[in-house]
Amino acid sequence: MTASSTPAMVELQGVAKRYGEVNALHRVDLSIAKGEFVTLLGPSGSGKTTLLNLIAGMITPSSGRIVIDGRDATTLPTNRRGLGMVFQNYALMPHMTVFENIAFPLEVRRLSKAEIKRKVGEALELIQLGHVANRKPRELSGGQQQRISLARCIVYNPALILMDEPLGALDKKLREQMQLEIKRLHAELGITMLYVTHDQDEALTMSDRIVLMNGGRIEQQGTPDTLYFRPETVFSAEFIGSSNLIPGTVEIGADGAYALNTALGRFAAPAPERAMKAGEPAVLLVRPENMALAATPTPAGVDGHIEDSILLGGVVRHFVRCADGSSLIIQELNQPGRPGAHRGEAVRAAWQPQHGRLLPPAPAG
Amino acid sequence: MAQSSAHSSSASDLSPWTALLLLAPLTAVMLLILIYPLGLTVWTSLYNGRFSFDAYVELASSTLFLRVLRNTFEIAIGGTLVSLLFGYPVALHLAAQPPRKRTAYLIMVMLPFWTSILVKSFALVAVFGNQGLINQFLGVVSGGTLNVPMMFNRVGVILGMINFLLPFMILSILGSLLALDRRLILAAETMGAGPLRIFWKITLPLSLPGVLAGVLINVTLSIGMYITPALLGGRQDMMVANLVDFYTRQTLDWTAASATAVALLILSGLLVALLGKVRGASGLAGAGA
Ligand SMILES: Nc1ncnc2c1ncn2[C@@H]1O[C@H](COP(=O)(O)OP(=O)(O)OP(=O)(O)O)[C@@H](O)[C@H]1O
Ligand SMILES: [Mg+2]
Repeated sequence: MTASSTPAMVELQGVAKRYGEVNALHRVDLSIAKGEFVTLLGPSGSGKTTLLNLIAGMITPSSGRIVIDGRDATTLPTNRRGLGMVFQNYALMPHMTVFENIAFPLEVRRLSKAEIKRKVGEALELIQLGHVANRKPRELSGGQQQRISLARCIVYNPALILMDEPLGALDKKLREQMQLEIKRLHAELGITMLYVTHDQDEALTMSDRIVLMNGGRIEQQGTPDTLYFRPETVFSAEFIGSSNLIPGTVEIGADGAYALNTALGRFAAPAPERAMKAGEPAVLLVRPENMALAATPTPAGVDGHIEDSILLGGVVRHFVRCADGSSLIIQELNQPGRPGAHRGEAVRAAWQPQHGRLLPPAPAG
Repeated sequence: MAQSSAHSSSASDLSPWTALLLLAPLTAVMLLILIYPLGLTVWTSLYNGRFSFDAYVELASSTLFLRVLRNTFEIAIGGTLVSLLFGYPVALHLAAQPPRKRTAYLIMVMLPFWTSILVKSFALVAVFGNQGLINQFLGVVSGGTLNVPMMFNRVGVILGMINFLLPFMILSILGSLLALDRRLILAAETMGAGPLRIFWKITLPLSLPGVLAGVLINVTLSIGMYITPALLGGRQDMMVANLVDFYTRQTLDWTAASATAVALLILSGLLVALLGKVRGASGLAGAGA
C-alpha cells in the first residue's frame, strides 16, 4: 500500500462509532498518505459520512484513536484540526458576498487586509469565477456555488480536504466537469483529499485509492484497477462494474488446479489468492467483457439463448438466459459487420478460464 | 347581530359570491367593535359643539402631554432593549436544546401568558417591593440600612413590562435561530472559527430578522401599556394610555382624551411602519433564508 512509503496524513486506529443500538462504524483501521486522493465508496448507510465526520471532529468516536498529521486529534475540537471541508449543500454563508465567504477562513487566520484581497483574488482566478466576487451565493448557479465552496476551502491551504458527496446535487455534465476540476486542483496543489461518493464511476475516475465500505466496515481497499480486476468479495465485485457470478463448490485436482462444480457445469479457474478447501462453496466471477458469444464448443462455456441485446455505442450487451434459469451478461466490442444476434437464438457464452476468479460465497442474508 | 344579517343578505342579493358571504360576519364584527368605536373616537376629538382641530393644537402645546409622550417612548424603548438583552441569550439557549427539552422550556417561557397581568403585578411587588423578598434580604444582610426602591418607579415599570414582553421577544428570535442551517456553523468550525467569531459573524447576522420582529412587537405592545405603569410606576411614570384614562375619568375632558388616543394610534402606526421598513430592507439583504 502507498501509505507505508510516505508519512500518513490521517491515521485511524480501531475507530468505531455507535449510536445507541446502531453500529454506524465498526472498528476501522485506515491510513491515508500525504498527497493521496482517497475515495470512500459504498451504499447508503454504509458509514461514509460517519467516517468523514469523525475525522472532521463533528462527532467523537466511541472507541479508537484518530491521528492527523502526526498529532493525536481524537478529542481535538473541529476548529483546531486545521482541515478543510466541502459540503454537499455548499454551506456558503447567505449573508456574505462571494468575496467575504472566501475571505472568512483568512480572517480567522488574522491575515492582513491586503493579503486577504490577494489570496481571494487568486482563489477566484483558480476557479475562473473572478467576475462574481461581489454577488451573494444565492445569485449563483449550483455549479458556481460549489466552485466557490471549493475556493473557500483551498484558499487557506489546509493539508487535508474532506468532501462529502460534493457533486451530488449537480447534473451529470456539470458533475463530470467538476470532477476534472477537482482532479486538476489536487494535482496542482498536492493537497490530501478524502472524497465521499456512492457513485462508482466517480470513484473510479478520481481516486488514487478507493476504500469500499459496507455496513460500517471496510470491505476492501485498493487502486481502482485492483478493485475492478481483483475484487475479494462478491459485494466488491457487484458494487464496482457489472459481473457474472456463478455459485458452486470447489474442486481441487491432483495437480492442485482449481475448478468449480456448478449447476451449469464444471469450470476450471485460477487458484484464489486465499486458499480454499475442496468441497467448500464458492462463487465464480467473470466480467461481462471477458465473455464472448462463441459459435463452436469451447473449453469453458455455458449454453443458453439470447434474451435481449442492447447497443451502447461502442459496445454491445447481450443478456443470455441459461438452461437453469440464471442469466449472464456478455459485453462485446461493437464493430462494423458484427454478426447480428437475434432474440431467442441459441448461443454459447464462453470465456478463457484465466479470466475467471474464485470468490468466497456472499454471507447469508 | 341584526346588523350582521342585514349586511350579509344585501351582499347575497347582489351576487352569488360565497366568499363575500362568508367574510360578512367577521367584517360586521370588526365594524362593530373596531371601526365604529375608532371612528367615534376620531369624531369626538374633532367635534365639540363645532368642528375644529383645537384639541390637537392644545395637545401639541401641552407640557403634560409632551412629558408623558417622552416617558412613553423612553419606557417603551428601554423596556424593549432590556427585553432584548435578556431574551436573546434565552433564545440562544433554547435553540441549542434537543427538541423535547426545548418544548418543556418553552412551556415555562409561555407560563406568564396564562397568568392575569394583575396577579403578576402584585407578585412582582411581593418580590421587588420595599417590603419584598429582595429588600428584606438586603435589610437583614446590611443590618437594616440598605433598601433599594424597585417598585412604584421607572425600574418597577420596566420590570413589570419585560415580564410581559419577554415571551414575544424570545419566540421571534428563537424562530430565526431554529431556521439557521446548522451546517453553516459546522463549515465555520472546520475553517477554524471559534465560538465568539461564529456568533458575531454568522449566528447574530442571520438571526437579525427575528430580532427586528421581536423589537417591533415589543415596542408596539409597550407603547400602549396601561395597567403596568398604573400599578408599578410612580407619578412620574405616566404613559400615554394613562393620560387618556386621566382625561376620561379625572377631568372628564372627552375631547382631549380622544385626541390623545388618536395621537397615540398615529404615533405607534408610524413607528410600526418605520420598523417594518428596516425589517423589509434587512430581509432583502438575504438574512432571511
Ligand atoms: N445521528 C445519528 N443517530 C443515529 N444513527 C445514525 C446517526 N447518524 C448516522 N446514523 C446511522 O449510522 C449509519 C451510517 O450512516 P452514514 O450517514 O455514515 O451513512 P452514509 O454511508 O454516509 O450514507 P449516505 O450515502 O446515505 O449518505 C446509518 O445506519 C445511519 O442510520
Ligand atoms: Mg452520507
